[in-house]
Amino acid sequence: MTPGQVLLFAVGGLANAAYLFIVAAGLSLVFGALRVINMAHGSLYMIAAFVTVVIGNQLGAGLGFWGGMLVAVAVAGAIGGVVEVLVLRRVYGREHLVQLLGTYAVSLIIAGAVRIVFGANYRTIVSPIPGHIDLGGYSYASYSLFMIAAAIAIGGGVWAMLYRTNLGRNIRAAVADPDLLNATGVNVTRLYTTVFVIGAALAGLGGSIVAPSQAVGSSIDTDVLVLAFAISVIGGLGSIVGSAVGALIVGMVISFGLVIPATNPFALAFVFIIMTAVLIVRPRGLFGLPES
Amino acid sequence: MLQVRGLNVRYDKSHVVFDFSVEVEDGKLLAVLGRNGAGKTTIIRGITGLLPGASGSVSVGGRDMSGWPAHRRTRGGLAYVPSGARCFQNLTVDENLEIASHATGGDRSWTKKRIWELFPKLESLKNNMAGGLSGGERQMLALGRALMGNPRVMLLDEPTEGLAPVLVQSIGTLLGTLKSTGVSILLAEQNHQVALRVADRAAFIEKGRIVEVLPAARARDSEVLHRILGV
Repeated sequence: MTPGQVLLFAVGGLANAAYLFIVAAGLSLVFGALRVINMAHGSLYMIAAFVTVVIGNQLGAGLGFWGGMLVAVAVAGAIGGVVEVLVLRRVYGREHLVQLLGTYAVSLIIAGAVRIVFGANYRTIVSPIPGHIDLGGYSYASYSLFMIAAAIAIGGGVWAMLYRTNLGRNIRAAVADPDLLNATGVNVTRLYTTVFVIGAALAGLGGSIVAPSQAVGSSIDTDVLVLAFAISVIGGLGSIVGSAVGALIVGMVISFGLVIPATNPFALAFVFIIMTAVLIVRPRGLFGLPES
Repeated sequence: MLQVRGLNVRYDKSHVVFDFSVEVEDGKLLAVLGRNGAGKTTIIRGITGLLPGASGSVSVGGRDMSGWPAHRRTRGGLAYVPSGARCFQNLTVDENLEIASHATGGDRSWTKKRIWELFPKLESLKNNMAGGLSGGERQMLALGRALMGNPRVMLLDEPTEGLAPVLVQSIGTLLGTLKSTGVSILLAEQNHQVALRVADRAAFIEKGRIVEVLPAARARDSEVLHRILGV
């Protein structure tokens, strides 16, 4: 493999890591604060991808994508808010199995609704940032570079929200001791809804950003959920830095795994081999905190 | 003034606190004394609004808070210092104080500057994570966090537990100072000597019930003190 090819596949891996990080960051944020593993996270990603494609194409391919993205993120966040109020408030503090079943039921309902509303066919949208950048004899899709830049900006935004705002300080306090936070005067019930809406909006943002680079179908929810879980297990559930590192590992393993003929059939298997190894050596993940 | 009327607490089918009723006037301290497991912590948590199985009425300064969630009671002037010097361990000392100040808003008679004056050690540690503090430092922080809410009533659950004698002494002095500012204090303690030194009255608890309420001066040599606490 030449250095040019390594760079090409590395950029491909970074583009994979970019949208996976955005999705996994939302999953991790919700788990960190609410201690709930949201099985419907992939469904919110899928809804946002469909909404982006449908609205974007109606508004006009290209610029219409940005309008579609705004609507999609708002829809994912709003559905997240409804799910938190109607379902999650009833399962907080219960064992993880109850929470998993509750959110899994939501994911099944959303999957059925998506098939009814959007149909079973795959849909596509033209990239809003067309063209390529040529470097070292290889062409790099401008949109892939945008996805990488967007993920870095979103990661920075999530970090700034957590460490530079009152909301972020309250979220970190809720991770440590929600009971004490309540007794300190913070409305933890409302805080949980806010966190879940932010997590859902991140899932939506991931789905919206990925829409121009992939065909959008009714099975992308499970595909992304499985990878987001693997990333969260590798990086550590509840850690945003862990989500970034996990997404990088998974993105690169898939990108390089697929292009090397000998590893092509096993590219995804490598992700889960790494996940299993992390679980054995460090069950809380590379950057995860022990559950209190 | 804190008024509690007919506080009952149930955990599922277990009834653990029975008809707890007390009044603590402005600037007064009521010590709640009892053995481990007598129900002191449950009484305090029931007053804070943290226990869904609690019933009865709670009012602060004449304002009825019955049915209010915990965060609203805190904003209404009720501060809670839990046992074990609990604080947000993953936040800095400064952030622990800020969180209370921001959550309660309104009148700012207690500021960080006043907290630093009260606990000079905390100011030098303000950028340290609370989880890395000693037990005594964390207790100072827990008290500071409660004060940042500008409380009219403070509920303290064994604030001297596990502390060195010199720190126990300073907490006793601090409680005396707080009383002089008009704050009503309900103090659950096992250390009856410290509690009765600063208390105006003492309520003795056994199996979730008040068995006797006495002025502190009489409580020190009372039969009920010897019987309930075994001293």
